[in-house]
Amino acid sequence: MVEVLAQVEMDWSQWLVPFTERWWQETVCSALVGVACGVLGCFVVLRRMALIGDALAHAVLPGVVIAFMLTRNSGIVGLLLGALFAGLATAVLVNLVSRYSRTKEDSSIGIVFTALFALGIVLISALPRGLHFDLKCFLFGDPLAVGTADLWMMVVIAPAVVLIVTLLYHPLKISSFDPVVAAAMGLPVLLLHYLLMGMLSATVVAGLKTTGVILVVAMVITPASAAYQLTNRFWVMLSLAGLFGALSAALGMSVAFVTNAPTGPAMVLVAAGLFALAVLLSPSHGVVFDRIRRRRLNQHIQSEDVLKAVYRLTEAGTPCTVETVASDASMGLGRVRSMIDRLRTQGMMTADSARVGLTSQGEAHAIEMIRSHRLWESYLVERAQLDVSAVHAAAERLEHAHGLADEVDEQLGHPRFDPQGKPIPPRKG
Amino acid sequence: MSSGTTQAVASQVVGAPAQAPGLAPADTGPAPIEVVNAMVAYDGRPVLRSVSFTAPKGKLVGIVGPNGAGKSTLLKAILGLVRLDSGTVRVFGLPLKNIRRRVAYVPQTEAVDWDFPVTAMDVVLMGSYAGLGLFGRPGVKQRTEAQVALEQVGMTDFADRHIRRLSGGQQQRVFLARALCQQADILLLDEPFAGVDAATEQAIFDLMDRLTAEGKTLIVVNHDLSVLDRFDLLMLLNQQIVAFGPTEHVATDENLRLTYGGRLSLLERADTTLQHAGPEMQ
Repeated sequence: MVEVLAQVEMDWSQWLVPFTERWWQETVCSALVGVACGVLGCFVVLRRMALIGDALAHAVLPGVVIAFMLTRNSGIVGLLLGALFAGLATAVLVNLVSRYSRTKEDSSIGIVFTALFALGIVLISALPRGLHFDLKCFLFGDPLAVGTADLWMMVVIAPAVVLIVTLLYHPLKISSFDPVVAAAMGLPVLLLHYLLMGMLSATVVAGLKTTGVILVVAMVITPASAAYQLTNRFWVMLSLAGLFGALSAALGMSVAFVTNAPTGPAMVLVAAGLFALAVLLSPSHGVVFDRIRRRRLNQHIQSEDVLKAVYRLTEAGTPCTVETVASDASMGLGRVRSMIDRLRTQGMMTADSARVGLTSQGEAHAIEMIRSHRLWESYLVERAQLDVSAVHAAAERLEHAHGLADEVDEQLGHPRFDPQGKPIPPRKG
Repeated sequence: MSSGTTQAVASQVVGAPAQAPGLAPADTGPAPIEVVNAMVAYDGRPVLRSVSFTAPKGKLVGIVGPNGAGKSTLLKAILGLVRLDSGTVRVFGLPLKNIRRRVAYVPQTEAVDWDFPVTAMDVVLMGSYAGLGLFGRPGVKQRTEAQVALEQVGMTDFADRHIRRLSGGQQQRVFLARALCQQADILLLDEPFAGVDAATEQAIFDLMDRLTAEGKTLIVVNHDLSVLDRFDLLMLLNQQIVAFGPTEHVATDENLRLTYGGRLSLLERADTTLQHAGPEMQ
């Protein structure tokens, strides 16, 4: 009986195996590293250093291997120091190569990090017999290799990065935005750059065992780029990037355990998904809202064009049908029909199966459009010194900004005729 | 050193708009900028040679010259961003590093990353960082100063707008406001009229006139030869100073021809010879 119970308990706990205490620890720690990656990623993205993020990740290999050689184990303090040293060496070497040779910075980065990475691989092959360095774990990450010491490293490094960035927020901001002026103010721009590089190497090392060298750069630039889509404030970008980094790490971990996928790639895919969402849905820069805005503007312009066409035709005594309006406004029949429907619901138009006409409200609006058009033409000729023959097309677009017509009128001193001699309707009311 | 401190105090007072002419002790003090025999070379090729001049207080100084004449380099040399191979720069009689904060730089707008997530107000507030050091944070005082600076350039209504969404002239005014927010007494401007329409150019000149009337010294690198008469003093530069002095004396056809025409070919040839001759050139 007792045996059976134990069996049942075992079976039950199998479902919980992924969500053990250990798993929670790893998830929380990865989320912390995600925050640090996201925050530092903002600087990487804004300073256009994505390549150097990748470079740092690769270049820490020789540092890690040398530390491994010296300490004869993968103790984290040694690894961290080795990685930090290698990371800073990369930053300094890149700086030196691009300063003292004709090579531009991007190529310098390429030269330096591939050389260091190659050195690392050669060093691995030169390791004494009996000492095994797991290159695959370094490249692709291995969550099973994450030990308690690694977790501690994450817990220490991530908050330290956030703290340093908070303390140096203003100098870091100006030296990223305007390094020349920052230097002119006497701020240690180069030192701040190396500080960022140092923090980046440390963070990369902390995240290395979960994501691996190849993908760790994604955790740096993807959440930050997603945040960049969504805001025009620097501190908001930093906060969002930290949030996205944490979210990618935590969600990625969960998804990986549920679907039995590797953790690093799962995190990166979540981050890329967040980025795609940000690109599509950002209210100010997003594709979707941009489309909607443009569509609205187009509809606005087209409906006003139809309105004007009807007014012109009525004025000339031509019968107003869908066909004549379409040819006058040079628009398709279907388009004109849907615009007429729209204008009818707005109470600007009357339409039956044969004829269309304007309500008094519609007529007033059409007159306002014509006033706007003629005022803009006058403005273009008088202020922008355009030729009279060239202004019509421009005014066709500008007239839809009729909210500004009164201001144009004011600036031009209330002209009564446009450049072609046509009367400008007076301001209503 | 102590005279420098007095100077700094005096000048803070002078920074206020109501300055009785002749009362300011700074007028008798050391010149805002004094460059003596400055020489700068890139890769052994001289960009500036024996440049010496003094910019007096409360003057609008224009620097004109062809491309590659070293105009921007001269500004950067004054700011300590480019190392002098020989010569000295003194600001109010002191080495620059003692007095950096009082010199503000307005860079070329094409050097600015307009997609950086900052608003007009953020940019202006950056001016205050010069006085805050590494760990300082702008507080109420700095924010008020930034507001005042924005007001001075007529950009208060645009404080919260992202810099990408400002027109060329507005962007220029925001960067001027940052220099004002730095509470600097010397402003160095690199091509402030690039990409700016005539009306805005006028507005910026008016603003500069107001600043010089307050006792600030402005040095402006400029491309456009049609507005030379707006400057109090003019420097014609082509690696060396061709002429420097009151604009009406300097802006002559002869001088401009000297600056822009035949590019000192003998000197250039001399340089090439020297470079091939050996290391004594360096």
